[in-house]
Amino acid sequence: MISRATLTRQGQRALQCHKKPCISRCFASAASGSFNYETGDAAGVKVASRDLPGPTTHLAVVAKAGTRYQPLPGFSEALEKFTFKNTWRRSALRITRETELLGGQYTSYHSRENLIVGAKFLRDDLPYFAELMGEVISQTKYTAHELHEEVIPMMSLSRKAMLGHPDLFAINSAHAVAFHRGLGNPLYPSSSTPMTKYLDEERLQTYSRVAYSKPNIAIVANGADHQELMKWVREFFTEVENSPPSNLPSPGKEATKYYGGEERIAHDSGNAMVIAFPGSGSNTGGAYKPESQVLAALLGGQSHIKWSPGFSLLSKATAAYPQAHVQTDHHTYSDAGLMTVSMSGDANQIRDASKEVVKALKSVAAGNVSKEEVKKAIAAAKFEALESGQNISTGIELTGAGIIQSGKPFQIDELGKSIEGVTEDQVKKAAKSLLEGKATVSAVGDLYVLPFAEDLGLNV
Amino acid sequence: MSAPSLATYITKRPWLKRWMMPLANWYADAAGYRKLGLRADDLIPEESDTVLLALKRLPPKEAYDRVFRLRRAFQCSLAHQLLPKDQQTKPEDDYAYLSPIIEEIEAESKERDDLEAMIVSKRKKAADAH
Repeated sequence: MISRATLTRQGQRALQCHKKPCISRCFASAASGSFNYETGDAAGVKVASRDLPGPTTHLAVVAKAGTRYQPLPGFSEALEKFTFKNTWRRSALRITRETELLGGQYTSYHSRENLIVGAKFLRDDLPYFAELMGEVISQTKYTAHELHEEVIPMMSLSRKAMLGHPDLFAINSAHAVAFHRGLGNPLYPSSSTPMTKYLDEERLQTYSRVAYSKPNIAIVANGADHQELMKWVREFFTEVENSPPSNLPSPGKEATKYYGGEERIAHDSGNAMVIAFPGSGSNTGGAYKPESQVLAALLGGQSHIKWSPGFSLLSKATAAYPQAHVQTDHHTYSDAGLMTVSMSGDANQIRDASKEVVKALKSVAAGNVSKEEVKKAIAAAKFEALESGQNISTGIELTGAGIIQSGKPFQIDELGKSIEGVTEDQVKKAAKSLLEGKATVSAVGDLYVLPFAEDLGLNV
Repeated sequence: MSAPSLATYITKRPWLKRWMMPLANWYADAAGYRKLGLRADDLIPEESDTVLLALKRLPPKEAYDRVFRLRRAFQCSLAHQLLPKDQQTKPEDDYAYLSPIIEEIEAESKERDDLEAMIVSKRKKAADAH
């Protein structure tokens, strides 16, 4: 028999256990006010940070040096691969070993607009990593032997990886067709890009002075004290160029224009098709249209719930084609955006599914969409936007890009509000204008089966 | 591989260097490689990983010139002839083009060995906390 006293004690303990999540929830909701970044200017370098409670820090330098801004093919990626290599002060090996000893991790990656050099580490090591970041962006040697022994082999591997992914190929091709140059530059050089013709250590070093000059970088930290971070940035980022040298070209400045069109690429190991339309720019820039984000969520296609095809328009419309994976994405850039419906999988099923996709879009444009569904889409779009802002790794890039481009950090509260304000009419109008304008269609794979834009009833 | 030498010991002492330089110049000239159009760094044995890597890292022009000098020297040696005076290496052309790269690679591998043999101790502050 369980004695009554024990029961009560257990009960009390259970009650206490029960209380705990409540306390932490209260704490989280109180802290949610500080999800917004604190910004500042440390000797010309823009700094944004938020002091999330926790023992680790995520520090990153966001540079406006993605493929959009590269002067020659492959430069953005080469610069990315050159991070944490030999500097004038210490060798690449020492950097790696010291980081390992401190229990940190460093990464670097690039997107179409940004190059991110980042590190994750224990909170106490902030000075060490602030110094390392300053050193990596201003003191890297760019030696010829590292270029030939390490950087170029890595780049040809990423080329090969890219070749094996028809869906990545299709997204790249859609960007090229939609924006031509600038945002249309491929994220990774494809196999036929003449790389060695352009890559050369001196040119890379010169470009690094443009890419990492003070107006082109922002330092973003999660989990660091703002004042302390400012102090270390002031101390360690002194050798960064104050402004990009004026005699060097800095392309990618011109406003992005949407062109649209069609491209078809034969590919042996898979099928992918992308139907894309102009979308919304970032909410820190001018070309912001929240309704197109809602439209992307409304079309959807990929289920967020396990073991269910999902309830979005496209997942319902293409339920009969389980071998075709359909997904709507909204790629947001500083002054433009691209809404893509990407399909991959079996060629025959892609052909049929793509017709359903266009049919679904047309029915939205004609107004055959219920209020409830729009409401659901607004919630989904809002969640996605807020989640990507709150998520540390995506938030870093968004915040950095925001303060470089407009001085405003990515404020997720505002974003949530503007998506909430979207009405049903706005969404329908947006769909209609997309169908009236030029579409972008890219097909990669078995071209005998994959349809032309003409067959789908899209004008390109 | 760079051979052990007294050079650093001597160059650190200006008076000794002043005293040794004429002797060194005479020796380099008497060694005869300049008469075959070679440089001192062409004589470094290639049969080691370090030197092979250093040769790979040479700028293309230097690598081409090196091969040219070596082939010309072989040819002269086979023909039991010396180059005409104007084609022989001048003392000012006899600079170290390969040994700095070799030293760099040696420093790299020494650093790697040192880091590998390192004994890690806990930081003071962290050790106190636990």
